[in-house]
Amino acid sequence: MSVRPEELTAKQYDAGFVTDIEQETLPPGLNEDVIRHISAMKHEPAWLLEWRLEAFRHWQGMQEPHWAHVRYEPIDYQSISYYAAPKSRVNAPKSLDEVDPKLLETYEKLGIPLREQEMLAGVAVDAVFDSVSVATTFKEKLAEAGVIFCPISEAVQKHPDLVRKYLGSVVPQSDNFFAALNSAVFTDGSFVYVPKGVRCPMELSTYFRINASNTGQFERTLIIADEGAYVSYLEGCTAPMRDENQLHAAVVELIALDDAQIKYSTVQNWYPGDENGVGGIYNFVTKRGECRGARAKISWTQVETGSAITWKYPSCVLRGDDSVGEFYSVALTKMHQQADTGTKMIHLGKRTKSTIVSKGISAGHGQQSYRGLVRIGAHAHGARNHTQCDSLLIGDQCGAHTFPYVEVKNASAIVEHEATTSKIGEDQLFYCRARGVSEEDAVNMIVNGFCKDVFNELPMEFAVEANRLMEVSLEGAVG
Amino acid sequence: MSTLIQEVRQRGERLFERHGIPHTRLEHWKYTDIRRAIEPWLAEKADVSPGSGYEALPTDDVAFQGIDGLDAYRIRVLDGRVIEIPEALPEGVIVQPLARLLADDEARAARILNADEQASLFNGLVALNTARAQDGVVITVEAGIELARPILIQHMGHAQAAHICHALELGAQAHAMVIEHYETPEQTAGFTNVVSRVQLGSGSSLVHVRLQQESSARMHIGRLDVCQQRDSLLKSHVITLGAQTSRLDLVVNLNEAGASCELNGLYLTAGRQHADHHTVIEHRAPYCRSREEYRGILDGRSRAVFNGRVVVHEGAVGTDSEQRNANLLLSDRAEIDTKPELEIYNDDVRCAHGATVGQLDEAQLFYMKARGLDDSQARELLTFAFADEVLVRLDVSAVRRHIERLSFDKLPYAGDFDAMSLGLEESA
Repeated sequence: MSVRPEELTAKQYDAGFVTDIEQETLPPGLNEDVIRHISAMKHEPAWLLEWRLEAFRHWQGMQEPHWAHVRYEPIDYQSISYYAAPKSRVNAPKSLDEVDPKLLETYEKLGIPLREQEMLAGVAVDAVFDSVSVATTFKEKLAEAGVIFCPISEAVQKHPDLVRKYLGSVVPQSDNFFAALNSAVFTDGSFVYVPKGVRCPMELSTYFRINASNTGQFERTLIIADEGAYVSYLEGCTAPMRDENQLHAAVVELIALDDAQIKYSTVQNWYPGDENGVGGIYNFVTKRGECRGARAKISWTQVETGSAITWKYPSCVLRGDDSVGEFYSVALTKMHQQADTGTKMIHLGKRTKSTIVSKGISAGHGQQSYRGLVRIGAHAHGARNHTQCDSLLIGDQCGAHTFPYVEVKNASAIVEHEATTSKIGEDQLFYCRARGVSEEDAVNMIVNGFCKDVFNELPMEFAVEANRLMEVSLEGAVG
Repeated sequence: MSTLIQEVRQRGERLFERHGIPHTRLEHWKYTDIRRAIEPWLAEKADVSPGSGYEALPTDDVAFQGIDGLDAYRIRVLDGRVIEIPEALPEGVIVQPLARLLADDEARAARILNADEQASLFNGLVALNTARAQDGVVITVEAGIELARPILIQHMGHAQAAHICHALELGAQAHAMVIEHYETPEQTAGFTNVVSRVQLGSGSSLVHVRLQQESSARMHIGRLDVCQQRDSLLKSHVITLGAQTSRLDLVVNLNEAGASCELNGLYLTAGRQHADHHTVIEHRAPYCRSREEYRGILDGRSRAVFNGRVVVHEGAVGTDSEQRNANLLLSDRAEIDTKPELEIYNDDVRCAHGATVGQLDEAQLFYMKARGLDDSQARELLTFAFADEVLVRLDVSAVRRHIERLSFDKLPYAGDFDAMSLGLEESA
């Protein structure tokens, strides 16, 4: 077999460039004054400052967790600058024309021209450039439907009641080390509120980009779907090339009330480090959704190809009766990337259902773990879970691991977990080669087929992007 | 006592002091908290001076049950001391009490006793076993010897702690079947801490049955360590029916090419029983094969834990591994925590694992009822069939029938095993 992992790992990162924009940045370090400063710069109310400080005090008493199956140099939390905002924020742009042209150029390099997207794709983009949202589109159309879609700092000013009611109600400040850190220093992120019975008229989307050197990015996303509402949210990311490891500790909270549906899709392609494992993003994210009402549904779909280290478990708390949780994931680790990812499905309500489909592809020196928890509570009568997690291995230096936890406290539950691990079949490759398909195309075909269950769950725009991403990532895998 | 054994004992004590009693903050003891229950059994300082061999302990108050219709070489262990070994054994088969070995061949005794701190699932209790095991059975089957009859090791105990260390060595091309049978009189408390270390020479094969039906007031901590050489074969059967709290750590090292293992397990829990099974299969060499299937039926307020881990190390190409864990919950208050793990550092593998938790299939129940069985009979038959799927792999029919009967009687139905098995035989 001539699949050569070293060629796969030699594939350079396409989106590596740094946009030179003046940054308003705090000096590195973290203490209460920094938090007060962030809060003051954002003109936050007193309760939020107090909330941040409480999180900070929790964080100080916490130990950095090391149970994940990943290895990395210790992080010096005092050498990180906790705030960076593009200067242009001072004269907040009122339309795209006022947006820094360099910024627009950055997006264009990534193939996501805002204006084209605005007109062609009908996607409202809340572009987060480092920490402050600088361009928000389609506000009016959303406002017509009554949907609130804005930076969370703006929501704090305009909708303080909603923010205060829901912020931290799914991921409390003391939830874990990185969530506590995020709660203390989060700078921006998206806020979505879909009112009762409203079907959000378009896919909401945020493109994240880490830009300033040494700036950890602490996004906070809060999405609330009120009774009978529906919203689909897209998150995608790329980051420029650099050598220092950067910490990204975001928190995403989803709340679905009675009969509401939230679909959250992610394509993550941050800088994975070079072929020697130097640099790259540390992606330590806490994502959790709660089906608070009956018949609510939360669906996570993720395509993870970037980051030096990925450590995230988008989870669903199925509290409402008959609520549904879904998790679809494709993760690719190559070169020296490490990923420890999976999900938690906490079944509390009656007849709750969850589906987990996880596809892992590991190549080069990549190490990948699926870590999942399915917990059926004592009162979750008739709960149902099906888990399928498959791994594909390319090369003899990589690793794929599975750590599924299943905890069942109710006799009427049905829980199934299945996992397989194998390499790309030589017979499959031979079959394709015998029919004149080049080896590279054959590998692409096989990988795409392997991931199909998950890609099918993505919104159309993302499915195309994800397919392309996989092809680009696997380029040079064969020769 | 010789200095060598003394050193081993002291090392065991030191390791125990360092690691202590396993607690729930340890990943592998997350679901099993033994600290409070074990405390009273640690205080007593066991007599670890080497005995002169097997001496007659009073056995008037206990009755060894045995296995009907099984023609086996019988060894009896009471309260951690070997009290009976078979008189006549075939040539090339040596059975010695560890207590005698401690006096006669300390180098070997030290090797058998010594805990490996690096081994998978090592914990303080293994070290405690090294420090305190008074006795055990050391079985050697020399190269090329094929044992026609199984070796049956019967364990019986009073309300006290018993630290036992067994060793089993099979030479190249040797074949043997060993049954470890643990029982204690009903209502007897106590603590069993047993470690069995098994070495399988190249081309050898071992059938190992571990039947645990201790009293529901007792704590049972067991460990089975297996090291396999080239082309050796292990077939393991673990049946856990008894003890208040039981824990079994089963570690199989497939050290050389072509080795293979088949692990079958069945745990039936009721009342407030807690049964924890941890298995680790280490694929360290190319072209090894492993199969594992554990099944559990849980009733009452019992709780069972299954953790099956398969590790495929770098260089272990051509690995073929499958693992299954299926659980049936009969009561709303029972709890199962299962975790089938795969850890793979190699691409030339074919690994699969699965875990299920569920109930009896309604369609199957309906089928049975449509043929005249009442609800209870239908449930009984299907529940037993669920368990029997792992028991049918037991080759020796006397052992299999015995275990089937015990399992059947443990189920919360009032059926008659003989009537049902008659029906099964007729249809078969």
